[in-house]
Amino acid sequence: MLKKHPLIGFTLFGILLFLLSNRVDELRVFQGATVAIYVIAIASIILLTGYSGQVSLGHGALLAIGGYAAALARNHWGAPVWLTFVIAVLAAALGGYLLGLAAARLSGPYLAGTTLALAIGLPSIANQFPIFGGEQGLLYDIGMPPASLGEDFTQYKWYFWIASLAALLAIYWLRNVMASRYGRNWKAVRGNDVAAELAGINVGRNKVLAFTVSAGLAGLAGALLAMTISTVSPGAFPLALSFSLATGAVLSGVTTLGGVMIGAVTLVAIPEIVDTVVSRFESSDAVANNLPGLLVSTLLILTVLFVPNGPVEQLRARREHRVNK
Amino acid sequence: MVQFINMLLIGIGAGSIYALMAIAMVLVWRSTRVINFAQAGMALLSTYIGFELVQKTGNFWIALPLAMILGALFSALVEILLIRTLIKHSTSGPVAGIVPIIATLGLLGFIRAMIGFIWGNQDIQIQPPLSKVGFKFGEETISLSPMNLLVLLSVLAMVLVLGFIFQKTSLGLSLRASAYSPEIAQLAGIRVGAIRTIGWAIAGAAGAAAGLLQTVNGTGAVSPDSLEFSLLLTFGFIAAVIGGLESLPGAVLGAVVLGLVLAAVQIYISGTLVFIVAFALLLLVLLVRPQGFIGTKAGRRA
Repeated sequence: MLKKHPLIGFTLFGILLFLLSNRVDELRVFQGATVAIYVIAIASIILLTGYSGQVSLGHGALLAIGGYAAALARNHWGAPVWLTFVIAVLAAALGGYLLGLAAARLSGPYLAGTTLALAIGLPSIANQFPIFGGEQGLLYDIGMPPASLGEDFTQYKWYFWIASLAALLAIYWLRNVMASRYGRNWKAVRGNDVAAELAGINVGRNKVLAFTVSAGLAGLAGALLAMTISTVSPGAFPLALSFSLATGAVLSGVTTLGGVMIGAVTLVAIPEIVDTVVSRFESSDAVANNLPGLLVSTLLILTVLFVPNGPVEQLRARREHRVNK
Repeated sequence: MVQFINMLLIGIGAGSIYALMAIAMVLVWRSTRVINFAQAGMALLSTYIGFELVQKTGNFWIALPLAMILGALFSALVEILLIRTLIKHSTSGPVAGIVPIIATLGLLGFIRAMIGFIWGNQDIQIQPPLSKVGFKFGEETISLSPMNLLVLLSVLAMVLVLGFIFQKTSLGLSLRASAYSPEIAQLAGIRVGAIRTIGWAIAGAAGAAAGLLQTVNGTGAVSPDSLEFSLLLTFGFIAAVIGGLESLPGAVLGAVVLGLVLAAVQIYISGTLVFIVAFALLLLVLLVRPQGFIGTKAGRRA
């Protein structure tokens, strides 16, 4: 039933999350919100890499565009919160469109390096123009949760609700897009762009479209990220964020949306696990500072060596193999 | 006028170090068709080893070649342990193109974390072996110190040695042949596997020199999360690509052009715009002349 009616599955999952958010403490709720934001950002990379064959190491820059656009709209025009999210999506999509025009002509490593240069270059603009508030950045305050939700409804729970709802909607929408003509075109381009071209698909336009959609999602994630920390600043979108998101996408498996939670949960869980280990064994600062990086990069290398398509795809392939035998 | 001369000096000085990094990236690209995003991590590791050697020997000019040799060995080891496995496992699926990128990125994180474990996350300080006060011409101090001059001369010497190896020795011929066509080179009796490892080793040495020289030429301070090295990686990549990614003279040319453009922006406009200008320059070259300054059209498709 769930296979045929994904909407039911998404709704059930949403209700489950809602019930869960009432049972756990504040820290877990905040982590839940972070997972939801990572889900959106990783999904945007999966769409780009797994479905249209383009690589981005600079998605942090697109998140930054979304975050800044939302904050500017909120601070200068007093736009309502939902509108700031829409503006974030549109601004990042525009940025992605421009980048996509260039990206469609680049392949593999060139694109990776170009997006890397963007991730390093873009935050410096914030320091150049006073409107972006320099190193301190801008405030981005979405306000208190509505009073109708009750007295003890905390700010973090409000963030969690907004982020989870956005993530559920984004994934549901993305799922449908993947099953549409556009999704099939992207898969065709990824598989073999010459064959796709011969089948009448405009390869260039499809790549640009994929980049635009992916950037829009990244912009949404950026606005949500800005929401949870109440500010946008160059420091909130470091190169490390871009690398983390690429890592999350690879751990999830870039060829399918099915594993998107894996990467997001891993990214949030690893610092948590390290904290536990460090406090249990009373390890030194050197361990506390470097164990997360070590775990993530080891996982990354092992994943590309042994399950390059990601765990979900690997399981599916193995199951098919067994059925065929 | 003095400002203009300073711009030229700063640009060429910075460009010469980017050139070493760009050469490292070109060598790796030519030998295995991989852009080594871990090059920054390897250079960082070599810089830390150089720091230890400076402590032990007390002489920077002994430490530098030793660090380059160790950097070369480490780079060769990475090729043998990681890249070969990767090529052996390589799938033809949709992820084939991104696997090497992600693997070298993972290696970058791995090296940084290991450095943090061993040396801690605080800055270490390498003393510059020479004065960093600029030469004086009459009243004016120009942006060229004995240190800058020595960096320039050592880079020049390394580029000349590399050029000699590539153009005049049989090893260089093998390196060029394997890059041009691995199959034909193999049929001609060249051990392509070993040549690949040597390509990586030379790249490791060049990267080590870039890291150490960049550090003593700059503030002298390094940490595992050093932004300097992320920039070195990015600028090295940009220089390599605008130079054509296949050609060593192209890499040097690209690096000097990048250094000059960035120096001009820094002096005449604003220091904070440097990064975005570097990005714009890369994009401009890729769109207008995708094969780079020196390069053939066919080389573009990875």
